[in-house]
Amino acid sequence: MNLVPVTYKGGIYRHDEIIDLIEDLGGYIIQKHILAQEVVLQALVPKEDIALIAAIAKPLTGEITPSPLVGTEIAVVTMSLEIHHLPHASCDVAEYIRRFGAKTNMVGLARGFGKRIAQMNDEERDVINEHDLAVYLLGDFETCIKQKFQVLRRGIDVPIVVCGGPSRETLRRIIEPPVDGYVGNVGRFMHRTKESEELAKLDEVVEEITRVLDRKREEIAKDPPSVSPARLMDIITTQVEEIHEVLSPTPITVQMQGLRVKLPYDTFARVVRDISIEEGITIGEIADIIPSRMRDYILIRIRPFSETNIMV
Amino acid sequence: MDAVEYFEVECTEETGGNYYRRIADVVLLDHNLLRVIRKLHIFIDPEVPIFIAVGVTKKLPGIVRLRDFAEVMATDQKITISIGDETYLAPLLQILWERYGKENVSQPDRFTIVLPGDVSESGDLEDIPVFDPSESIYKDLIYALLVIQPEGFKVRRQWYGKEKFYLVASEDTLPEDIEELVREKFALMGERL
Repeated sequence: MNLVPVTYKGGIYRHDEIIDLIEDLGGYIIQKHILAQEVVLQALVPKEDIALIAAIAKPLTGEITPSPLVGTEIAVVTMSLEIHHLPHASCDVAEYIRRFGAKTNMVGLARGFGKRIAQMNDEERDVINEHDLAVYLLGDFETCIKQKFQVLRRGIDVPIVVCGGPSRETLRRIIEPPVDGYVGNVGRFMHRTKESEELAKLDEVVEEITRVLDRKREEIAKDPPSVSPARLMDIITTQVEEIHEVLSPTPITVQMQGLRVKLPYDTFARVVRDISIEEGITIGEIADIIPSRMRDYILIRIRPFSETNIMV
Repeated sequence: MDAVEYFEVECTEETGGNYYRRIADVVLLDHNLLRVIRKLHIFIDPEVPIFIAVGVTKKLPGIVRLRDFAEVMATDQKITISIGDETYLAPLLQILWERYGKENVSQPDRFTIVLPGDVSESGDLEDIPVFDPSESIYKDLIYALLVIQPEGFKVRRQWYGKEKFYLVASEDTLPEDIEELVREKFALMGERL
C-alpha cells in the first residue's frame, strides 16, 4: 500500500467521520489541529483512496491537498537568536515550511555568527542530526559563507539545504564538497516576506527541500524501515496511556525513519521497547531506542529491513 | 519629512552591498531615524572583515528645560510646579529627588509637584536642564547601526557629537589607524570629522 502525505482542511462538523475513514482505509493521522471552527489534519493516506476521501469530504466542504512534507521533521538552523536573524528571515522560512506539513524545529546556534569566529558545539550537531534534513540560513556575503560553512557542516550527516544571499550558482561554486540543495537570494533581511516575489523565493525553498527529501525517500525505499514510522506512532499512541497527557502539539513526532516520543527517556524507554507490534515482535527488536539530545525525549530509530529481516 | 541627502553603501561584494542597503534602509525606517539623518555612508569589506558607518545628523532639538513644559508658582510656604507635558516628568522627578531629597518632594497628583518654600530660589528652578534629546537620539542611532552591522562583529568603536557620528566594527582587533579610514569615508560625503 502506497501512502501519500496530504492535508485535509474542513469544518469541525462531522470531521470525526473523515478521521474514521482515513483510519479505516489504512491511513494514519499525523497531526490534528482544531482552530475555532476549522480542522486541519495532516495525514498519510493510500494513494488510490484520495478521490474517495475527497468525494466524502465534499458535502462537508472539506478539501484535501497533497503536502509533500507531512511526516518529516526539519531543522531550521539559524546563526543566532539575535534580532539580526529573527524574526526575519528565520521565522519566515520555518513557518512557511510548516504550511506544507513538515514539523520544523528552529536550531539557534550559540556562536554561529561571524566569519572566523563561527563555531558549532556537539549538542547543536547532535540535535541537527536527529532530524530528517537541515536548512541552513546563512548571511549575505559569499566570503563569509565560504569560510564559515565548513565549520558549521562538520559532523552533520543529514541532507543539508543551504540558503544564502548570493545567487544559487555562487553558492554552488563556493561550497565544497557540495551539499544536497541550494537556494540563492535568501540571505539576511530585516523585513517581513509578504511581496509576491519574496513568497516565490520561499516556495523555492520548499521545492528544494521537497526535491532533496524525495531523493532521500527513494534511497530509503531501496531498503525500507522494518515498520512504517506512522504505524509505530499509532501503536505507541494506543498502548502508552501517558502519551495523552503530553501537552506538546505533536506528542509523537513522525520522521522518515523514526519517531521522537516526547516522554522522559528514563521512565519510558523500557516501556516503549517492550511494546509488542504484532505476533510477539517488540519495538526493541526492530528499532534503536535512544535518548534524544532534545530535552529528555526518546528517539526511536527504526532499523532497515536488511538488518532485522523483519517487516511488520 | 525631508529625505536623506546622501545615503551610500559601499561594499567589496556587489550582491551583499545591495542587501545591506535594503537592511540599512529598513532598520533606520523601523527605528524612526531617517528623519534625523542627513548623510550616511556605510562601508563593508567582509574579506578583512570590517564595517564602517559614518554619518551626519540634521540639527537636533536643544536641551529641554523645566520652563519648556511646566510652570512654577512660588509662595513663601511652598513652590508648586504644574506639569504641562508628562513626557519629561520622570527625569524631572529624578533631578528634584537628588537635589532636595525625596522627603521634600511631594506629588499630590500626576500634574503637580510641591516643594517646601524654603528650599530654593524659584527663578533658578525654571532653568534646570531636564532632558537632552540629542543624547538619546545618538544612542538610538548607534543601537540601529549595531542592528545593521553583520552580527559577528563584536569588536567596535563608536563616537558621536557635533552632529556627526561613526561606528567601526570588526571580528578582529581594530587597526590603530582606523580613524584615518573613518576620515576618508567622511571625505567621500564632503564632510570633515
